[in-house]
Amino acid sequence: MALSLLVLLCLYRAVFGPFITNRIVGVSAIGTKTLIILLLMGFIYDRVDMFVDISIAYALLNFITTLAAAKYFEIKGEV
Amino acid sequence: MIITYEDIIIRTLTRVLAPFLQIYALYVLAHGHYSPGGGFQGGVMLGASMILMVIAFGLDTTLKRLSEKADTILFVVGLLLYSGVGVLCLALGGNYLDYGKLAEILPVTIAKARSLGILFIETGVALGVMGIMVSLFYDISTGGLPPAREGR
Repeated sequence: MALSLLVLLCLYRAVFGPFITNRIVGVSAIGTKTLIILLLMGFIYDRVDMFVDISIAYALLNFITTLAAAKYFEIKGEV
Repeated sequence: MIITYEDIIIRTLTRVLAPFLQIYALYVLAHGHYSPGGGFQGGVMLGASMILMVIAFGLDTTLKRLSEKADTILFVVGLLLYSGVGVLCLALGGNYLDYGKLAEILPVTIAKARSLGILFIETGVALGVMGIMVSLFYDISTGGLPPAREGR
């Protein structure tokens, strides 16, 4: 529950963020919180071994997404 | 178009992370019928590792590792593996992709043949997805031109 509220706070920053860096960091933080929620769901359903696989993949792809977005905006010169 | 990142943190992290990502993709691919994952997800992660290398080391270094010709050969082989297993099952008297018929030419039981068949299919799908992803990324990042003519 508390994590969902934190996701909403990060969503505010990602949508209304004044600069592009705020948005990128907001999206990245949402990804990290989603990962933790996934692991907690794994504990609830009692199948952590399955959910750990999904979380690792999610974390790696989230990292690559953030990096690619940062590089794109660096080349465009908006930062 | 894509310039080399001179950031030591990202280059070092990529040097550690890219092999881990590829090994993990192989695990997801090979374990796909017991746990979440499978051919498509494994292929996406293999392709993402190449995209990560382009981000960190630039396009030229990555093209030396995996040229566009090798990439094309990879996804053609993946497609051939997929359709080849399907047509092989058809030739053995079953339906298309009816893996149970593979037990007639492999020295295994029918249940084992089904498990092996889905592994072949998933390997084909993974190679295809990875090849198409990397090929699209190369084409987008060079604007469709060969890298030599771009004048970076």
